[in-house]
Amino acid sequence: MKKSLKQLVIDTATRYIYLSLVIDGVEKQFVYEEGINNHSVTIIPYIEKMLKKENLILMNLDEVIVGIGPGSYTGVRIGVTVAKMIAYLNKIKIYKVSSLALLASSSNEPCVLGLIDARRGNAFMGFYKNESDKLTQIERDLLANIEEYKSKIEFEFDTVSVGVPNINKILNSDLLEAVEDVHGLTPNYLRITEAERNLRNEIKN
Amino acid sequence: MYVLGVETSCDETSVSIVKDGKEVLSNVVLSQIDIHREYGGVVPEIASREHVKGITYVFDKALRDAKLNYEDISLIAVTKGPGLIGSLLIGVNAAKVISLNYNIPIVGVHHIAGHIYANYIDNGMEFPLLALVVSGGHTELILMNEHYDFNRLGETQDDAVGEAYDKVARVLGLPYPGGPVVDKMAKTGRDVYKFPRPMIDSGDFNFSFSGLKSHIINLHHNMQQRNETINIENFCASFQEAVTDVLVAKTIKAKEQYKVKQVIVAGGVAANSGLRKKMKSMINDIPVYFPNMDYCTDNAAMIASAGYFQYKKYNKADDLLLNGQSRMNLEDIKNGN
Ligand SMILES: [Zn+2]
Repeated sequence: MKKSLKQLVIDTATRYIYLSLVIDGVEKQFVYEEGINNHSVTIIPYIEKMLKKENLILMNLDEVIVGIGPGSYTGVRIGVTVAKMIAYLNKIKIYKVSSLALLASSSNEPCVLGLIDARRGNAFMGFYKNESDKLTQIERDLLANIEEYKSKIEFEFDTVSVGVPNINKILNSDLLEAVEDVHGLTPNYLRITEAERNLRNEIKN
Repeated sequence: MYVLGVETSCDETSVSIVKDGKEVLSNVVLSQIDIHREYGGVVPEIASREHVKGITYVFDKALRDAKLNYEDISLIAVTKGPGLIGSLLIGVNAAKVISLNYNIPIVGVHHIAGHIYANYIDNGMEFPLLALVVSGGHTELILMNEHYDFNRLGETQDDAVGEAYDKVARVLGLPYPGGPVVDKMAKTGRDVYKFPRPMIDSGDFNFSFSGLKSHIINLHHNMQQRNETINIENFCASFQEAVTDVLVAKTIKAKEQYKVKQVIVAGGVAANSGLRKKMKSMINDIPVYFPNMDYCTDNAAMIASAGYFQYKKYNKADDLLLNGQSRMNLEDIKNGN
C-alpha cells in the first residue's frame, strides 16, 4: 500500500487562526477563525479535532508547514512554538512560509498585497502574483507606512488582510523553505524590539 | 512517577524531569539574564522571543540528561501563572503539544506553589509549616496544614522585596539584578543608617517596602547634593539589615502563633545570604530550610515537584484548553483549579 503524505499547516500570525490538514495534496480539514487573543487556547484542541476526523494522531504526520510572520503580534509565537514542538517530537520535516503569502493566496486577483497591520499607519506587507495554480513573490515582505508604500505602486492590486488561504497555491509554489535545524527556527519579526532600538540610540548619542 | 516540568513565566526557559516530586533527574535552565541586564530589567518582548528560540532545545536536553524517553513520562506540569503572559504561553503551548502527542495528562501549576515545593526536593516537608515567599514579584507568608494547602497570612502592600532590591541597586549605580550585588556589598558594610523597619510592629503579617526604598533614594539624593562621600557598602548593609529584620520578625511571629513544625523560605530572595544567616540564627526551636541555590531562582524542577503533589491531591488533570494567566491567586487552587 502506498504511504500517503500527511501535512499540517499552522498560521497564527494574524487575528485569525489558520490550520489545515492536507493528505496527498488534498485539504481534508481546515480551520479559519477569528480569535481575539485566544489562539493559545484553541490551537491544540483544533489540531486534535482535525486529526480525529481523519482518524489520525500527531505521530502520523509527515510534515509541518508554519507561517512565521512577519509581525510581532504575540500570536505568531504560538504557531511557531507548536510547529517546532511537533516537528521536534516526531522528527519530521518542517517548512516555513511567509504568513503574508498565506494571506495573499486567498485572493484570485493577478496582483495581491498581503497586509498585516502594525499600528500607527504601518503594516507588514508583501506583494504576490497569481500564476495559473501557484503563487509567486514579486516584492519582498517588509514593514512600511501603508499609504506611502501603496502610493508608489503603479499597477492594479488587491489588498488582503483577511481570507482563507488557498493551500494548494502555496504547496505548488516555491515559497516554502525547508528548515534545516528545527531548534533554530524563530518567527520573522522584521524589526527589533523597541527596547533594543532605544538602547542602540542611547549608545549612538 | 516521572513528571516533566516546564517553566517559562519570566526570563528562564526551563524543563526538568523529577521522580515522585523529589528526585531530580534533569533540570535544564536557559537563562536570559545576560540579555536583560543591559536593559536594567526583564523586557517582556525580548523574553518571549528568547523562549521561542530555546524551547525545543531545552526539552531535548532535559530528556537526554535524564536518559529517558517521552513514553516514560506520566505527568506534565507546566507553570500557568502568574507571570509575563507572552512568556507563559510558550511553555503552556509546548507542554500541550507533548500532552497531545503522547497522550500524557497535564496540569497547570501556580508559579509560587513551585517556589514553595523547591524546598521539598532537598528538605522534605512536615506540617503544619510556614513558608516565607520572597522574590522579585512576591513577598508573602503562607501557612500549609498539609500538602498543597496554601493559606496566605499576609503579603506586601506595595513593592516585593526583590523589586525593592532592584530599585535600590539602580539608585546606587549597581547592575541588575540588584539582589545578589547588594547582598555581596552588604557583607563589607555596616548598618550605619539605621533605616526604619517598616510595619515591623503592625500586628499583622503584611509587609511594605516602598517607603523604605523611597527613604533610601532620598537620603542618597541629598547626600549627593551636599557632595558627601557615599559609602555604597554601608548603604547596602543598612538596607539589607532593615529588610531582613522585618522578614525575620514577621516569620517568627507567625511561627509562634500557628505553632508550625518547620519554616521554609522560597523564591529568588531565598538565595540572599543575609536573610539565610539571620533566619537560621534567630529560629532555633524548629528547622528552617532554604532551597538548594539551584532551585531558588526560576526552574522547572520545582514546578514538576509541585505538579506531582497537585495531581496526587486532586487526581485531576487539565484539558487542552489550558491557558496561561498573568495574574493568579495561590489560594484559588484549593479546588484543584
Ligand atoms: Zn519565580
